[in-house]
Amino acid sequence: MRLIKLFILAMFIILAFLVTGCSTTVPVTAKFPSVPDTLLEKCPQLKTIEGEKISIIDYTKTVTINYTTYYECAVKTDAWTEWYQTQKSIFEEIRK
Amino acid sequence: MWLMNFLPNWIFHIILLAGILGLVASFMLKFIPFISTYTLPIQVASILLLVAGVWFEGAISNQTAWETRVKEMQVKVAEAEAKSAEANSQIVTKIVKKTKRIHDKGDNIITYIDREVVKNNEVIKFVENCPIPEIIINTHNAAALNQPIETKK
Repeated sequence: MRLIKLFILAMFIILAFLVTGCSTTVPVTAKFPSVPDTLLEKCPQLKTIEGEKISIIDYTKTVTINYTTYYECAVKTDAWTEWYQTQKSIFEEIRK
Repeated sequence: MWLMNFLPNWIFHIILLAGILGLVASFMLKFIPFISTYTLPIQVASILLLVAGVWFEGAISNQTAWETRVKEMQVKVAEAEAKSAEANSQIVTKIVKKTKRIHDKGDNIITYIDREVVKNNEVIKFVENCPIPEIIINTHNAAALNQPIETKK
């Protein structure tokens, strides 16, 4: 009987040892999507009007250049929104 | 589980089989002297082996299911990364096209100013008679730089 008790005890110890060490780490990781370099460029500073005698022509040209700069920068901002929405939908598909 | 990575699966199948066979033998082969003498220890050991065997079979099945899911996920992630790169390329193309269009329109307006506006009689008269006040320039520059207006008294 002592042998049986010893055997049972040994089996329980072995079983307790076996059930430990369950790993829950998921070995698949999705990399954060890279952003195009164009989107990382800073928007340029708007142009100022310099000089002593400024005509309405120079004034209009500077304003035109600044409006163009704004629209060019707006393209990048809109592209950021599009980039985010596209990448979000792509990576949400993984979970489906 | 580390033990399942460490040992081959057939060992766990043998444990289960040994448990079943031991239990069957302890009930049906009592005419063999060894078994009849150690019936209880054999039954206890067989039940323990059976329990461990069933547990490991479950774990193997679970592990297989997880490994399948991991492979599926790896494929999906690879596809998503390819799609992501493609989307980036499309976005960059769109930015380049739009920026060029905007830049060209801006250039056209500047050209128009140099070609047409400067020749306009009304404009010529205005340029000759009305210089732009400094306060207007300062206000414009402050707005362009997003800075507070410096008032000169």
